[in-house]
Amino acid sequence: MGGSFWHDAVEFAPILIKGAEITLLVTLSALILSTVLGLFWALLRVSRNKFLSWVSAGFVNTIRGIPILVQLFYIYFVLPEIGIDLTAFQAGAIGLGIAYSAYMSEVFRAGIEAIGVGQIEAAQSIGMTRSLIMRRVILPQALNIALPPYGNNLIMLLKDSSQTSAITVAELSLQSKLIAASTFKNMTVFTLGAIGYLVMSLPLILVVSRLEKRFKSK
Amino acid sequence: MIQITDLHKFFGTNEVLKGISLNVTAGEVLCIIGPSGSGKSTILRCINGLESYDSGQIRIEDHLVDRENKNIYWIRTHVSMVFQRFNLFPHRTALENVIEGPIYVKKENRKTALERGRSLLQQVGLANKENVYPSQLSGGQMQRVAIARALAMEPKAILFDEPTSALDPELVGEVLSVMQNLAKQGMTMLVVTHEMGFAKEVADRVIFADNGIVVEEGLPSELLTNPKHDRTRDFLKRVMHG
Repeated sequence: MGGSFWHDAVEFAPILIKGAEITLLVTLSALILSTVLGLFWALLRVSRNKFLSWVSAGFVNTIRGIPILVQLFYIYFVLPEIGIDLTAFQAGAIGLGIAYSAYMSEVFRAGIEAIGVGQIEAAQSIGMTRSLIMRRVILPQALNIALPPYGNNLIMLLKDSSQTSAITVAELSLQSKLIAASTFKNMTVFTLGAIGYLVMSLPLILVVSRLEKRFKSK
Repeated sequence: MIQITDLHKFFGTNEVLKGISLNVTAGEVLCIIGPSGSGKSTILRCINGLESYDSGQIRIEDHLVDRENKNIYWIRTHVSMVFQRFNLFPHRTALENVIEGPIYVKKENRKTALERGRSLLQQVGLANKENVYPSQLSGGQMQRVAIARALAMEPKAILFDEPTSALDPELVGEVLSVMQNLAKQGMTMLVVTHEMGFAKEVADRVIFADNGIVVEEGLPSELLTNPKHDRTRDFLKRVMHG
């Protein structure tokens, strides 16, 4: 390494940073989609309607049982055959978002189910309807409980965004691979790539462990 | 105002209420005493529809209590409840707990609700705690906030489900004195309690329930000092010594 490492690092940095930007964009898009969808699945799951609850459980288990990579292939290569053409970025963000909605929904559901029956009875006893109880009493507490595991999912999501390289999303790991293939400087390039991921994930890890501590001290 | 006629309730095959009838008139303080598992709390929980009942009738004024009917919301906004374990909303301050119902259920104007919320906290002696979260309050303070929350609905009656049973002994007095003040102001109260002193001093009438039936009812001075039934006598002997 030595001098040539720094020399190469400076040369590759702009491309890798471009890749890291795509990584963040894919992660953020998938996070938004998985949060909204995950909350939706969780609410269906705890609803009084047996059928809706069953649909949600079926979806979540199906998604959890299929590797993310296969889901990405499915969206990118199979959907065009039925006339749904997506760019690689769109397919990556949507695929990750759907895959993670299953994990997010489990996190939200655990939070919702952690709320004691006393809270619900207190809310009922002042005349609240089911939807108002959910909105004002259960969800605010459940989301607070869900925050640390939600953060952990986000960290996993950030790293799993590298799987979208398989469907040609030009994110950090794909850019690393391309540079390595054309320069043969494997050690330099992949070390930089790994550092890139660490720089993005470490702050998240620190925030989550803060949240977990705060939660334990309560 | 609260009329219960021949109330029966099963938990599975176990009949916990075996034909309860009782009336509470407006402004009255009625205490229900009796051993654990006698169904006292279940009676209260049927009145505001937290539990369903299997037969018989409960009426609040002329409204039939029916959990499956929309009118249950009317019942619950007019008959408040105070729980053994307080059940304050931990993510809201004392004042927010009190104004939650007025603002989100009764759709009161926020400013009016805040003003009344503050005056209710003052009434229960917690004016200085309005911005404090429940986790920083003592049990007695939490229960007083819960009473303020119940009062904020401007109910016709309040159900108290063993309101001091979860409290350390030194905190019981502050809650009972708030309740005593309410009674003086003419609030209709139905109180399930083990506090015989409170029943004796504050109640207009006392009911002794055991094993799902009303064994005996009467003036506190009579029932508590000179009970007619053996079961009442046994129970009182046990609690007075306990």
